[in-house]
Amino acid sequence: MATKRLPLTAAALLLFPLSGVYAQEPPRGSTLAGATMTPLPALGGERVSSGSAFNPDISVIIDTVYLNEFSGHVGTPAGFGGGHDHGHDHGHDHDHGHHHGHGLEEGFNFRSAELTFTASVDHYFDALLTLHLDEDHVEVEEAYITTRSLPAGLQIKAGKFLSDIGYINAQHTHDWAFVDRPLVNEYLFGDHGLQEKGVQLTWTPKTAFYSVFGLELLQGETAGIASYEGHGEGKPFSDKSGPRLITGFAKLAPDLGYNHAAQFGLSYGHARAFQLSDFHDHGDHSHRLSWDGTAWFAGVDAVYKYDAGRSFGHGDWVVQGEYYHREIDVDFRNNQRPPVSDVARQDGLYVQAVYGIAPRWQFGVRADALGMTNRNTLQWMGHGHQGYESFGTSYRYAANLTFRPTEFSLLRAQVNRADFASEDDHDEDGWAFMLQFQVALGVHGAHRF
Amino acid sequence: MQKWLAGLLLMCLAVTAQASLQVVATTSAMGMLTQTVGGDAVTVRVLAPPDRDAHYLQARPSMMAALRGADLVVAVGADLEVGWLPAAIQGAANPALNPGRTGYFEAAAQVALIDVGGPADRSLGDVHPAGNPHVNMDPVRMAEVAHALSERLSLLVPEDAARFRANAEAFADKVEARLPAWQARVSGAPGVVFYHKDADYLALRLGVPVLGYVEPVPGVPPTARHLRDLVRDLTGRDGVVIRAVHHPERGPRFVAEQLDWPLHALPLDPPLGADAEAYLALIDQWVEAMVGNAR
Repeated sequence: MATKRLPLTAAALLLFPLSGVYAQEPPRGSTLAGATMTPLPALGGERVSSGSAFNPDISVIIDTVYLNEFSGHVGTPAGFGGGHDHGHDHGHDHDHGHHHGHGLEEGFNFRSAELTFTASVDHYFDALLTLHLDEDHVEVEEAYITTRSLPAGLQIKAGKFLSDIGYINAQHTHDWAFVDRPLVNEYLFGDHGLQEKGVQLTWTPKTAFYSVFGLELLQGETAGIASYEGHGEGKPFSDKSGPRLITGFAKLAPDLGYNHAAQFGLSYGHARAFQLSDFHDHGDHSHRLSWDGTAWFAGVDAVYKYDAGRSFGHGDWVVQGEYYHREIDVDFRNNQRPPVSDVARQDGLYVQAVYGIAPRWQFGVRADALGMTNRNTLQWMGHGHQGYESFGTSYRYAANLTFRPTEFSLLRAQVNRADFASEDDHDEDGWAFMLQFQVALGVHGAHRF
Repeated sequence: MQKWLAGLLLMCLAVTAQASLQVVATTSAMGMLTQTVGGDAVTVRVLAPPDRDAHYLQARPSMMAALRGADLVVAVGADLEVGWLPAAIQGAANPALNPGRTGYFEAAAQVALIDVGGPADRSLGDVHPAGNPHVNMDPVRMAEVAHALSERLSLLVPEDAARFRANAEAFADKVEARLPAWQARVSGAPGVVFYHKDADYLALRLGVPVLGYVEPVPGVPPTARHLRDLVRDLTGRDGVVIRAVHHPERGPRFVAEQLDWPLHALPLDPPLGADAEAYLALIDQWVEAMVGNAR
């Protein structure tokens, strides 16, 4: 029966474009008819073309956030300011983070439009390009190729991508269950998490349970773990060519049947260059502070999901948590004085749970802790002193309610309570309310684990 | 460390040493068909349990593990599994299963679909311009798929080709034998309101009118206004409301109570490990439900 059907379908497919072609034929009574041997190509009928049918799949995700800090205000968690001094206000800009529009402002925020193109390049490669657009900038969030034909469970990804260490790092904003990124991901890595140029090799062995092992050779530019400045502008660093950051990860997922799923991960990374400098101009004298050395991190992550089998996520659970520890081993220099060696040790974690309270409605809670160990690097302490400091732990708690009218839109209300340690021993706390509206246009998105 | 490595190696060998063709089916209906056609030459694993909506699953690690060791994936297709199957295949790093390769089989690609070429406009719901994917609810189309699947299995295990073709033919014969009884049972049935467009193929095959849907548009739960409109339009008529087991009960129950129609909740897929008889028994159930309150 199938063989009978196929020619019919094929005929229908063939006829469809042809009918369009006939409709475009020039009128026979035209005075030019017959006078010219080569008909105008625009009038059709002379060429069979796939036209724009090879266009990549396109999806657009528009993300808008309303923010109201209705009580108090918190700055940067203590120990994560990136080489601040203490107790002095030198009147110069200390903002080392490149917050070009990723930080939210009070009121209405157009956070981003994320434009993703995907297609198979050929038999061997798939490609993806994700552009992150805000009001003033266009950034390449991800641009990479992946292999599709390597044997033995091997895959290579090359280009610019979000590292697959941990669980949340490789997720885009629209995959998050909360409006904002966990503190540990933002402050131990960067504003975009661990986002780098490089090459990744993964191996998925043929086992009864799921496991994947990965190795990444990365350029090493992420501020929190592989800050790099290089030689130049009087900076006391030597050039180091990439790759400067190497990471490895393993993920294991036992088969727990249809209702339950869990995945556990380990990750590690080593940066062979960590270079950071700071210039303090006091008018009559100035300081060039620099930190030059290496860094490494290690982390564990776990995620558990329960599928209740009811409609629109009703009764489903997702519980996840990640912990990372980072050490930065540097020589600290203050102007031309001999360097002093020191190690900064810092860590952070988050745990979150999301429950489907009703069809299409989810309730989520999250707890962040940053700097349970918080021994910062050597600092310029003022008045000719230098040394390291240990700071307190910063905490943040979040609760939210998400409504997804369909798979293609969401409305989320979130309350954050932040209790941050600060570097001058005055803890800061604050409450913030956020309302997020997000829509997805274009091709049907993937429901990744 | 050495022990651990040896253990891992043994496990790999244990997986690769299986002699039969490893097939992963996305739903239990496709699993049934694969087992029916493939017989003991295939080992079938089903990714989506029959009691939930195969459109809304996630690409879970266990799916990737199953796909990693598979020789063939049998999907319903036409974007039914679009949210998770491509992601799971990609995560499985098994190039044999890439669409276009012998190891990738879509039922919907083997038969003529209904609702093809509608506007790709999501204000009309989670629409599928490629066509209605729920072909597993039409036994006649499933028989066509069985023939196509027997050809595909024959490419992978040529020595069993004759057996596969005979099995597909036997399945088609069973369907053909039951068809007149099904048609007779529902002849004169007043019509049916489904929750979603997931059993339209069966209604169309048996000539039962579909009077409406509990969903206002595909993929969107019913609104009070839509339910009122539906009840208003159908008041005074006979019929039956049928929902799939994974759909919420409230909307369908409201419509059934208001209209004083029977209400049924049935699975769209046969139980895990079902054989052809169990699949046909499921169709029997749907047919019986579609008779409605006709007297």
